[in-house]
Amino acid sequence: MSPVAVTQAPPSPQRPPAGPAATRRRARPARHKSDGLAGYIFLSPWLLGFAAITAIPMLMSLYLSFTNYDVLSDWSSTEWVGLDNYRQMMTEDPSFWHAVRVTITFALVATPLKLAAALGVALLLNRAFRAAGLFRGLFYLPSLLGGSVAVAIVWVSMFNRDGAFNSFLGWFGIEGKAWVNDPDYALGTLILLAVWQFGAPMVIFLAGLKQVPQELYEAASVDGAGPVRQFFNVTLPILSPVIFFNLVLETINGFQGFTSAFVLSGGTGGPVDSTLMYTLHLYNKGFTEYQMGYASAMAWVFLLSIGLVTVLIFRTGKFWVHYSDGDD
Amino acid sequence: MTATHTPRRRFLSSIVAGMIALPLVLGACGGDDEGSSDGKVELSFFWWGGEARAELTEKALDLYTAKHPDVTFKKTWQANQGYFDKLATLTAGDDAPDIFQIDDNFLSEYATRNVTLDLTSYQESGKLDTTKFPEGLWKYGVVDGKLAGLAFGENTQGLVYNKSKLEAAKQPLPETGMSWEEHIAWAQKAGAAAKLPGTQDPSADYKAFWVWLRQQGKEMYNGAELGFTQADVQAWFELWKGARDGKATPTADVIHEGNATDITKQLVVTNKALTSWVWANQMPELQKNTTDELGLVAYPGDASKQWPRASMYFSVFRGTEHKDIAVDVINFLANDPEAGAILGTDRGLPSNLDIRASVAASTDNASMKQTIATIDELAKNYGPSPTVPPKGHSTVRSELIKAAEEAQYGRATPAQAAEQFFAASQAAVSR
Repeated sequence: MSPVAVTQAPPSPQRPPAGPAATRRRARPARHKSDGLAGYIFLSPWLLGFAAITAIPMLMSLYLSFTNYDVLSDWSSTEWVGLDNYRQMMTEDPSFWHAVRVTITFALVATPLKLAAALGVALLLNRAFRAAGLFRGLFYLPSLLGGSVAVAIVWVSMFNRDGAFNSFLGWFGIEGKAWVNDPDYALGTLILLAVWQFGAPMVIFLAGLKQVPQELYEAASVDGAGPVRQFFNVTLPILSPVIFFNLVLETINGFQGFTSAFVLSGGTGGPVDSTLMYTLHLYNKGFTEYQMGYASAMAWVFLLSIGLVTVLIFRTGKFWVHYSDGDD
Repeated sequence: MTATHTPRRRFLSSIVAGMIALPLVLGACGGDDEGSSDGKVELSFFWWGGEARAELTEKALDLYTAKHPDVTFKKTWQANQGYFDKLATLTAGDDAPDIFQIDDNFLSEYATRNVTLDLTSYQESGKLDTTKFPEGLWKYGVVDGKLAGLAFGENTQGLVYNKSKLEAAKQPLPETGMSWEEHIAWAQKAGAAAKLPGTQDPSADYKAFWVWLRQQGKEMYNGAELGFTQADVQAWFELWKGARDGKATPTADVIHEGNATDITKQLVVTNKALTSWVWANQMPELQKNTTDELGLVAYPGDASKQWPRASMYFSVFRGTEHKDIAVDVINFLANDPEAGAILGTDRGLPSNLDIRASVAASTDNASMKQTIATIDELAKNYGPSPTVPPKGHSTVRSELIKAAEEAQYGRATPAQAAEQFFAASQAAVSR
């Protein structure tokens, strides 16, 4: 456990003094010892929570992924099956690979669009104009609603054959499709929903834009750079650490999409598996087919894959992320 | 440094030990400590359903408590969606309710894994009375020779049609005994006249497929194996491809809406088709969702191949500490006339035929009367019932929807869809 490593580090001289409560209670010569104790006591709510609802369940699921655990049977009939679940996943479950394709498509399309929308709106809101705060709030609103079930339900009714979106198209004489009930478009509506919730990265972009030193723009315009040039040669490079941060977070988010797909398809991933996200397939394996061992194995493959993607993004980072030398 | 290590380590290890012990201790506190010395017993009782069902069920259980003051209930209920997730989770935590509601999608999943108490000995000793039940009905609760659940409510397949719209368009009403081809031809003609597709395409619907199979001399399942061949599936998909091509059904996206099991989404009440394929006991509920008058007949073909299906069951958890009392409670709910009067037909037609007769006589709900009359009429001709679907049935159901929709959207030919479904369902039942 990492806390062990932390406490074994030699106490540094600049260490802040222990809280007054701790010193009063245990006025012992070995002060650093009580410091540690107090630290753990203060940490304990988090530690307990971390252990009970994260660490122990995670380790359990790692163990279960090597068994045929089926939720309902007695523990005694749960058997160790080695790598069988992993093998089955790779070779015998066509839906697994289908779900991987759907999820990658979703993440690859939704993430860049969402970041582009967030950056675009952030650039607009970064100018000083009246009611800027109001607009900032309004644009952020959709992400407050987040992955909520209610939003997904509204989305479904908007994009039905007789929904609001098609009525809107009707004004222009265009006959819309049954977007959410058509396997060709259902995933598209989910992507649109994800893109629409660009508020969180937008706020982070806004904060980043405020940090761009004004002198750079002045210098650039003196050198004759127009707004487009300024954007590509000043804004983007300075903003690149923020873009990087958003990219990592939103990619991970994209892979984990579940709620909207669950609501749109009633939990099935339909129509015709077009919205069968990885997490949805995992959930169905575990909770409707009771193959919890298999579902656990899927969860670990998922964790490792997302980890790998994140590492890859970090690797590419050194080619395009520029950290300024603290000249703010 | 070494001097400080030891207590620190000890402290850490005690934290770790505490973290491991804590859930165990909490678990122990929450355990089955209801068997207190004064003879008072609290049974947990879990079901799915809506407000109305909750009210009736609570009233019936209170009646039991009034007659047996030592027995009280911890009643928990919720909507159907998520119910089985929760039941599975409770079971996994060895904290399953003493009595729970279950249906034929899951009965085998639970029974083959020994979660449910075998009620056979109670039935033999008469503590669980099924003498007034139709035989096929209680037998529909037998899994691997064990009585895994007490059938609570009978229903059978029912084709619900929009009577008002058909009469307005001066079209004949569908009748029990039409062949499948006649039904499709009727739907084509009536649909054109009423300017509304004639019939929902039920090719994704396992219960329609099942009835059709039985009429071909096949079964959905023989024990834990599939009772049909790939060629059967293909013929079924082709039958409905013909219907779609002949415009007897709505378009694929509308069919997809109707493939949801939710009552409020059935095309006959959303006014997107003239007929929907449902369970007969859902008719009164469907009627509540539309102002048009609805009618009810059997599925096409030989209606004697339909069977008395238990709309749901009550099962007793094998690990309960109060087996005898729990069995007595479900016996009371099924056979006590007062309890029967309270519960009515909310879970399907009462299994006990005496109670069913008195409930039918006392209701003034027209669609309820028609439902009871139709089911009773069909019941006169039933042949032998099939067995409860085996483990893997819920996967087979979702695979059928997937394959049928592939064909409906025109993404696969009936032959390709049949091949896909057959392979997937074989894998599902042999797991």
